[in-house]
Amino acid sequence: MIDVRIIGTTDALGALKLSVLNTFLVFAVIPLAVVAVVAALVFGGSDRVRRARRYRPGRPYDFKPIWFLASPEQVGPAYGGPETGHQATPPAIEPGVIEDSSGARVLPGPTGGASDRW
Amino acid sequence: MTAGEQPRTALESPGGNTISAEPEQATSDSGLEALDGPFTTRQLLRLDEALRVADQQTGLTFSVYLGELDEPTRESAERLHRQLSGADTAVLLAVSPNQRVLEIVTGSAARKRISDRDAKLAALSMAAAFAGGDLAGGVLSGLDQLASHAGRH
Repeated sequence: MIDVRIIGTTDALGALKLSVLNTFLVFAVIPLAVVAVVAALVFGGSDRVRRARRYRPGRPYDFKPIWFLASPEQVGPAYGGPETGHQATPPAIEPGVIEDSSGARVLPGPTGGASDRW
Repeated sequence: MTAGEQPRTALESPGGNTISAEPEQATSDSGLEALDGPFTTRQLLRLDEALRVADQQTGLTFSVYLGELDEPTRESAERLHRQLSGADTAVLLAVSPNQRVLEIVTGSAARKRISDRDAKLAALSMAAAFAGGDLAGGVLSGLDQLASHAGRH
């Protein structure tokens, strides 16, 4: 006669001991709490209003015109500059060289420059 | 200076918030308006630095206009350029993001230092940055290129 004996009973297996409430806490509440923390950090951490204020090509740009100048007192008196105050005089540039770095002649004219589109 | 004479400080009265706690103290009215623009505070500071360094190194007057330009844009940008005192040595970068157009205007003395070809090169790199949506980076790289082409005075 062979004596068969079960060594471990079902009481010793931990997983099978979990009640419905414990299962719910471990597998639903904790993951949801982690998700909630991450979502709160993502959506609450940055100032989203500030980030939206930037230029994107193709979207309308509705900011007021700005004019940046290192020293605003150089704008002429007729356009809001000082009337009689000391005007910063830019250093004189030696005249006579009407050619660019490669030796090509620069066409005479009041203003030069370039244009481009994007 | 004797011990009795104290150097005057910039503060009208002692006390109050520090500048970092209340940046409005160190900002003019026009500076506050610039904070409403498309740039962050950090970008504005970098732009300010770039303009100042470009002016100091070259002796030219660099300025950046950002906004609508009337048609035709070239004439409109040249009109703005004439408003600068010392327009001969002034360089204006006019950018209109809505019209997607940029104009670089150099004065009659400034164009001897910055040739039209150099200006076109700067305009190309600015347009490339603007097409990617980088307004501040484009302006900064344009200023940098124009200033280095102009050389030191």
